[in-house]
Amino acid sequence: MIIALLWIVAIGLGLTLVYVAGRLCYDTWSAVKQRRYDKSVGQLAPPWRDTKVLAIVAQLAFAVVVGLAFWYLWGNFRDRTDAIGLDLSFDFLDQPAGITIADNPLTAADTVGEAITAGFLNTIRIIIVGIPLAVLLGTLVGIARLSNNWLLRKLATGYVEFFRNIPPLVVIVFIWSGVYLTAFPRSSESWRPLNWFVFNNAKFAFPSIEGLDGFVTFRWIVLAAVIAALAVGYWRTQVFVKTGAAHHRVLWGLGTLLTIGTVAYFALDGPVKFSRPTLDEAGRIYEGGIRMQMPYAAMVTALVLYTATHISEIVRGSIQAVDKGQVEASEALALSGFQRYRFVILPQAMRIAFPPLINQFLNFSKNSSLALLIGFGEITSIINNLAGQSQPAPQLIFILMLLYLVISLVLSLLGNLINRKLQIVGR
Amino acid sequence: MSDLFLADPIVVDPEPRPHGRLSPGAWARANLFDSRVNSVITVIAGLIAGFLTWAAIAWLISIDFTIIRDTLRIFMIGQFPDDELWRLWAAGMVLMTAIGLAAGATARNAHDVAISQGLAPDPSGPLLLARRFWAILAVLILFASFARTIQPMVGVLAAIALVFLVRQLAWAAPAAIRTRAMYVTALLVVASMLVVAGTSRLGGLCIGLVVFVWALNETGRRDFSGSSGKVLRWLITVSAAVLAGVIVAMIGFEGFGWKEWGGIHVNLFTAVVGIALGMPLGILLALGRQSKLPVVRTASVLYIEFVRGVPLISLLLFSKLLLPLFLPITMERPTSLTLAIIVIMGFSAAYIAEIVRGGLQAVAKGQTEAAQALGLSPGAMQRLIILPQALRAVIPAMVGQFIALFKDTTLLTTVAVLEFLDAAAIANNQPQFLGKGLAPVTYLFVAVGFWAFAFTMSKESRRLERRLGVGTR
Repeated sequence: MIIALLWIVAIGLGLTLVYVAGRLCYDTWSAVKQRRYDKSVGQLAPPWRDTKVLAIVAQLAFAVVVGLAFWYLWGNFRDRTDAIGLDLSFDFLDQPAGITIADNPLTAADTVGEAITAGFLNTIRIIIVGIPLAVLLGTLVGIARLSNNWLLRKLATGYVEFFRNIPPLVVIVFIWSGVYLTAFPRSSESWRPLNWFVFNNAKFAFPSIEGLDGFVTFRWIVLAAVIAALAVGYWRTQVFVKTGAAHHRVLWGLGTLLTIGTVAYFALDGPVKFSRPTLDEAGRIYEGGIRMQMPYAAMVTALVLYTATHISEIVRGSIQAVDKGQVEASEALALSGFQRYRFVILPQAMRIAFPPLINQFLNFSKNSSLALLIGFGEITSIINNLAGQSQPAPQLIFILMLLYLVISLVLSLLGNLINRKLQIVGR
Repeated sequence: MSDLFLADPIVVDPEPRPHGRLSPGAWARANLFDSRVNSVITVIAGLIAGFLTWAAIAWLISIDFTIIRDTLRIFMIGQFPDDELWRLWAAGMVLMTAIGLAAGATARNAHDVAISQGLAPDPSGPLLLARRFWAILAVLILFASFARTIQPMVGVLAAIALVFLVRQLAWAAPAAIRTRAMYVTALLVVASMLVVAGTSRLGGLCIGLVVFVWALNETGRRDFSGSSGKVLRWLITVSAAVLAGVIVAMIGFEGFGWKEWGGIHVNLFTAVVGIALGMPLGILLALGRQSKLPVVRTASVLYIEFVRGVPLISLLLFSKLLLPLFLPITMERPTSLTLAIIVIMGFSAAYIAEIVRGGLQAVAKGQTEAAQALGLSPGAMQRLIILPQALRAVIPAMVGQFIALFKDTTLLTTVAVLEFLDAAAIANNQPQFLGKGLAPVTYLFVAVGFWAFAFTMSKESRRLERRLGVGTR
């Protein structure tokens, strides 16, 4: 996978170079043609007064200077790497990595490529869980800051002004060592609310679903049921659009899902059961449930708390940017406060808020690299560890930057696609 | 790490509700219990606020700040030796003078402009200033109060007094001096850094540069018309700059190496240097991105998008592991702070480029056309018409970038620079405090320190935004 990425980047850069060189050649050719024509009509300007010639000369000079700088740096680089005998190939990806990651089945014998992939997946886990939470919290706080309830407004303002002005790294370290490590008990004295959850300062555990016989079939049936529910919801929307009858699409959809699920559950004779985390004598969780490492929990909490402040400022600004007439019209229609936000203000505010929100998503994904300091095994700390295991640093850093560029690119592509859906088509 | 020019829409504070003349009961009914839903919200929010306040107060009373008292030195200055401490004090005082001078001169100029246009000038006075900067003042006094000797307290109070004094002096100074205050400020800032780092060729170069710009501006005021006048003008400015550089290099006194720098002054220093050095490159990149020349545009876009697409931490890892490999083989490995500053400069340049691009796009097209109609050359058009307007429009966003960079300097801890956050880790690892669970105390101290600076600066930038009228035109 990593090698394929490298090839894509190489091809992309090559195409860009070809494009630029092609443009330059075309410009030169058209300038020459123009000057021939000018000469034939006897209006040839001296070359130092011809903007076309000047532009070509300036670009050539720029390219030569940049190329020389790169050539000089590359020479230095080769001298240094030759002196320490560094291998610049990507063969090391198949060598054993010699590192382990907490809460990951990876062993020291697994290859560097597998370690990097595991780290990349951990980064994705932070991003996928964190961004929706941050948007949710940020929207709520943004609305709260505009509430006419004095106490709620001040509470939200205090939260935003406090967390916005602290470096994210300090938030992370403070949440980790100040809140999670000290406020939760040691594992031998774990809190076990309802006997279903386990909280201690090493990990959290929640109940989960465990598959028994026929689980694979059941999973497919549930997937089909979800699709059926969506279809039913779409059908109800169509009915609503055509006849104006109440759609109740959420009720209909959930009903479909639950009916199919229940029937399948009994037909397959109970293919799933709840599993709860169980502790041994020393307080270690030895089976059942879904577990969450403490650094991961701290990381997600801190990043959500930090990013939500920025999102709330964006949401607040966009709500205020919604035309005042819209709010007055919804008041004239006697919509309740909730209806006003749900049907009139938020849909329009989201349209304004989305482009800057994409920026915050990118910031969130980049800030996930800060986990390096609290030892969560995401991509940056894995790369740092690997470099400490005397794996070649140049290639590692190159791969690290490449993977982040891929994340940024995918996020902004997705964001722009959604944004295009949100904007009003017209004019 | 945020693109502030795009990220933050202009936020207007909600209209204040009239509660000045209401009785407490009526005010509570109007603002807290005016409907059933609001009453429920008030009760829930009140419970949350009450719990948080109670928990915070109980915790603050229970903790012991001995660890801060004992390790305050590491937080403030790292491992700076005692004999050389006067350098930091002198640098701090010179810097305070510079800040006071710039603040007083700009405030008075804005005041005069407002009066000449018949507008109500912004009110200003010592009390109002204290209210605007309460967070920084409170934190400075808090820091000083943790000191074990009397000297730092006196020093901090003297510095605060100095700022106010110089500000009042600059306010009262004649206009001829005030218009030149920015050059004096730049000189003072360079000088304050040189007091610590020592004068060398670099110091001469910096001072020479400032003098060069000043002299260019001064000679530009007089009418040096004709081509011989032009030659004379450049001759005067260049020789003044060289003279200043030579004098500084001759005075030259030993400085103090970056290796031993540490504490919060490294964060401030890195943020200032990163923005100041990133600015010229950033403006060039922004112009390059707007350029019609495909080679220049592609190179700028590639650079900007690459730097903005990767996190700063990966660039810092690059500076630690890779950047030394690109230096000539005969050269010694520079200190980690030098390497980090090089990378931070390139990093902030990419972000500044995007901010400046926003400003360039905000300049009305008619301005360009008018400049072309006047027959200005492309260079003169950018220099005289477009850039001044674009840069003025992005000052608040630039302050926002400075705050973001200031917050990002905590990442220096990953490349083994002893900055403010790293100092907390060191304090926690002192043998007498190890394993006592004091990490929350030190991290709270760090958080409050950063908060005061960032909070005040962001408030000031919003004030600036309102005053410049950005976004309301």
